[in-house]
Amino acid sequence: MSPNIQVNVHSRLTVVSSTPTEPMGQTCALTPIDRAMASHSVHIIFYYRTSPFDKEGRFAMDLDNVRISLSDLLSKYPRMTGRLVRDGDGNWMVKYNDAGVRMFKASVETSIDEWLKFANESDERNLTVWEDMPYGDPTSWSPFHIQLSEFVGGGLAIGLSFTHLLADPTSATLFYKSWTDAERGEPSGHSPPILGLPPLDNTSLSTTTKNTSITKYLQDKSKLAPTSSKTMATSTFKFSNTIIKQCLYKIAEKCPGATPFDYLTALFWLQILKIKSSNAHSPTQSISLCIDARKQLDVPIPMKLFGNALSFSQLSLQNKHVAGDNGLVEAVELVHHHVNAIKKDDIVSMINWLESSHKGMDGAYPEAVQMYGPDLTCVSLEHLMIPKTDSKDEIESLVYDAKFRNNEKPVHVSYRVGKVEGEGLIIIAPSAEGGVARTVTVTLPAEEMAKLCEDPVIMEMEPIMILSGKR
Amino acid sequence: MLKFATEVYQCLIISFSLHDLLLNLSLFPYTVSFLLLIVTIAVFHFMTKPRTIYLLDFACFKPPSMCRVPYATAFEHGRIILASQPKSYEFQVKIFERAGLGEETSLPQALHYIPPDPNLKDARQETEMVIFATVDSLFEQTGLDPEDIDILIVNCSLFITSPSLSSMVINKYKMRSNVKSYNLSGMGCSAGLISIDLAKNLLRVHSESNAIVISTEIITPNSYLGTERSMLLPNCLFRMGGAAILLTNKRSLRKQAKYSLLHVVRTHKGADDKSYGCVMQEEDKDGHAGVTLNQDLMLIAANSLKLNISILGSLVLPVSEKLLFVINLIQRKIAKQKKKRYIPDFKKAFDHFCIHAGGRGVIDEIQKSLNLSDDNVEASRMTLYRWGNTSSSSLWYEIGYIEAKGRMKKGEKVWQIGFGSGFKCNSVVWKCNRNIEVPKTGAWADIIHKYPVFIPEVVKL
Repeated sequence: MSPNIQVNVHSRLTVVSSTPTEPMGQTCALTPIDRAMASHSVHIIFYYRTSPFDKEGRFAMDLDNVRISLSDLLSKYPRMTGRLVRDGDGNWMVKYNDAGVRMFKASVETSIDEWLKFANESDERNLTVWEDMPYGDPTSWSPFHIQLSEFVGGGLAIGLSFTHLLADPTSATLFYKSWTDAERGEPSGHSPPILGLPPLDNTSLSTTTKNTSITKYLQDKSKLAPTSSKTMATSTFKFSNTIIKQCLYKIAEKCPGATPFDYLTALFWLQILKIKSSNAHSPTQSISLCIDARKQLDVPIPMKLFGNALSFSQLSLQNKHVAGDNGLVEAVELVHHHVNAIKKDDIVSMINWLESSHKGMDGAYPEAVQMYGPDLTCVSLEHLMIPKTDSKDEIESLVYDAKFRNNEKPVHVSYRVGKVEGEGLIIIAPSAEGGVARTVTVTLPAEEMAKLCEDPVIMEMEPIMILSGKR
Repeated sequence: MLKFATEVYQCLIISFSLHDLLLNLSLFPYTVSFLLLIVTIAVFHFMTKPRTIYLLDFACFKPPSMCRVPYATAFEHGRIILASQPKSYEFQVKIFERAGLGEETSLPQALHYIPPDPNLKDARQETEMVIFATVDSLFEQTGLDPEDIDILIVNCSLFITSPSLSSMVINKYKMRSNVKSYNLSGMGCSAGLISIDLAKNLLRVHSESNAIVISTEIITPNSYLGTERSMLLPNCLFRMGGAAILLTNKRSLRKQAKYSLLHVVRTHKGADDKSYGCVMQEEDKDGHAGVTLNQDLMLIAANSLKLNISILGSLVLPVSEKLLFVINLIQRKIAKQKKKRYIPDFKKAFDHFCIHAGGRGVIDEIQKSLNLSDDNVEASRMTLYRWGNTSSSSLWYEIGYIEAKGRMKKGEKVWQIGFGSGFKCNSVVWKCNRNIEVPKTGAWADIIHKYPVFIPEVVKL
């Protein structure tokens, strides 16, 4: 492995909202899903080939419209500028006290192209400097960090790090998009955000506790013993529009509505299963799917929800069904049906279950469990693909539409989740190319990753490998 | 002196000539003599009367809202930076809680860093941001151009540059080569009124002239980076701000002017060692420069005010108050009666009061000393709350408040009281020249409807 590329974090400051929150000091409780996610952190990095900020003077970055638009936008997100406090029962809640968001500034000793070719996952961690809450003490700890890292030759990476307790990757992506829209002077469709879930309509549930697959899965998960930590490695595979189109076309007969997520999940799942030695004798395999739940909740404009709205569900398949030539198609179909079958009731009962069964005798929630893992988990960001208004066929992603005033699309966007242990994590995210192209970030135990990067089936799809370290 | 004597002589010559002429013509010689005497006196008076100095308009700086410092941010930064000195941090918290500042006071960008690491470039950037924005507003409001400016005075106590700040302004606005520029440094929070005094004297000498006075304090280079308790107070109070004032003696602008200058009274207690040493810039044991504020500050301020108003009172108080004061003085000093010192009721002399927003304690102390009502000090309190202690420019935010509230009427008198290191107490009295409509632009313009607000004794997060 090559020596790490030097990232020098040279400044730390606080960005405040421009308008005080009214009423000041109001506290906001967290939902059961929020609390369940507490052990993880999320890191999203937007890479731009040229910095959208002027380079005159030390504060050019600060005094530009960029900071003004950020401060103005933060006025609508008191959940981001507030601080965590404990409520009467000892559980976390957010206090809207306008303390602000921590910002870091760094310089990187290489160009952005070199970085994307040769940097690895631990290098990327330097672009989103993150510290967990020190000793459980939330005072002086900013739950959200933004890092601006300048590359040699003018590139810029904007990294968002935050605790999963307060937001999911979708929330942060939409916040970021609102920022770039505001800086360009355009109105944003995702702002002002809805902070926290509205009360859920429970009346449609039957009185007998509906043990859906989700709740059963969570029950099992909470009983799992912690796995021994192995060294994990991460690689990013970029699949082009053409290749994915071809693949989807090939299976179109059997599974007409398959999405790129369905296809890639099935593909990676099967290939990883082949690599994993431990599963050789087990007849059933399962994967955990993390799907966005915004549309299933009673939120008037789902994409405005800022918080956690995820569903974790388990999909199992029998080895014998996916043996043979049609194995992949079968798997794709399974995934597709599973994803489409997630209904509002499932989400509601999940929330109810999280609410009731995690509470201890004294009303305090225990320390959060690991939600991403320990079994193999796959995260979908398909909901961030939006059809373009002027063209029915072309689909653009919100992620790559995040352009500042200079109208430059990000050249790459990385999604990472912190504290992922166990079997591994697959995040299937949009690509700069748009359409059905996808960027797949895979985290696996190091030896399995080495084998995956040479897997013939995957290599057949001609992925471009980036951010995977020197190979 | 010679000029004065010449003018008197000329008046008398003319008067005598007329006198002789009219006497020969008139049937009532004594009446004519008497009338001519009156006319002579009147002409003499008008010829030698000092020119009226008018305040055409003024502008105050409104910082960008991203520079604001919410309570929680201030507390948090303090906690992180003073982590090694918990006692200093606790002291700072106590000050913050009782300071009387609100959530929207502003600090320059350099001081939002943890830890702050300000340099000369940052200080210049703050200076340019504050001064240029304010002077731009002033030119827009008055309709004047930079070429119309004859005198330029800039006062900024703790940031000294070469070329001077006044040169910076001349360079930016391409002012005329014969502009008379002055740069006052080191004169503390009352420097704004000292600049007004200087402008007044210059405008008395130079006829038909316009003068700009720029009052500001640049915070960037003056944040105290150490942990010494007695030096932490300024960090908690001083905030970004600035004002630009246009003064003139031009007759053509007299109708447009908002105020006319009535009196300037300056008192300096520097001869007294205690007064001299109560606000002192020094270095702490680690070499960090800061300003130490003595515990006697309130008392010294009150005493300097007493001295100032004893002179000002004789100029502005109505006869009734003067009489009461004299009677009380006689009773106490000569008749040796045990009576409390009579504080003249300055509310009979002035309609509006602007007390330097040095801190909550200062305003409270002055309110008590002068027997002022809460309404009288509302402008001072609200300025401290919204803008913090902006040093020499705070008095202008206060007048701005009164105007924004629509309370300034023609003929009303405003008293500005400034305090500064040294120890100085300066008073300036203005008379409102015309009815002033609520300004549509300015620092208070979009926010005045929220004020006044209730400020708690102690702010608890």
